[in-house]
Amino acid sequence: MTLLWAALAALTLVGAVCVIVAREMTRMLLGLGVFLLGVAGLYAYYGFELLAVAELFVYVGGVLVLFLFAITAIGRDREGRDIGRAFDISALVVSGSVGAAVAVALWTALPANEAAIGATVEKAGTALLGSLLPQFELVGLLLLAALAAALAVVGGGERR
Amino acid sequence: MNSLILACTLVSIGIYGVLTRKELVAVLASIEVMLGGAQLLLAAYVAGTGAAAGSAQGITILVLSVGGAEAAVGLALLVALVRRGRTRTDQIEEVRG
Repeated sequence: MTLLWAALAALTLVGAVCVIVAREMTRMLLGLGVFLLGVAGLYAYYGFELLAVAELFVYVGGVLVLFLFAITAIGRDREGRDIGRAFDISALVVSGSVGAAVAVALWTALPANEAAIGATVEKAGTALLGSLLPQFELVGLLLLAALAAALAVVGGGERR
Repeated sequence: MNSLILACTLVSIGIYGVLTRKELVAVLASIEVMLGGAQLLLAAYVAGTGAAAGSAQGITILVLSVGGAEAAVGLALLVALVRRGRTRTDQIEEVRG
């Protein structure tokens, strides 16, 4: 575990905790941004430069702005006083158990040390347009369907 | 191993957020945290094994696209619910087409 990895992991964890702890929407969004930047940094650390750039473009540049738009549409910056204030032990037990179960299940599958391996854009492009072409086309259809569904949901609400 | 622990912690944090937060935007953000943890685990696995790095990067890009689609539909549903004056999960009592 290098210092850089530890710093990026800490950044990611701080952002994720901010998402579930922050009372104000804008602070929660800021936490989500820090989390996504940390994830992009970890991708870059592992040598996946394309993934890091895609994470920045799609999530930090796209999804985060979409969240900001949604918060603006809601028109409220602060959650109700009764929300998220109480520490929920049952939720903590459930979430901790699921996380622990995944960790135990994958404990032997993952190698002890993750080194940066590097995967060029060329390799990713070859895979996406080669062995992963059906999945790539399916995701294109899924995105189109998601766009149509989003427009239908928002448009349907306008007509009512 | 460190990446596995980090990814599982992120998934746990996301699940905790989904279970405890009532505001719909916060629930969606928590789902994004869970998704980020899963993607990170995939990247760490490939970085550790070193096998089929191009394919793994491609698969992660596909998962990333699915996450983007999920956010788009989720936020569209949120806007539709806000128009009906509902922004919290406990205010949604019926699902009707």
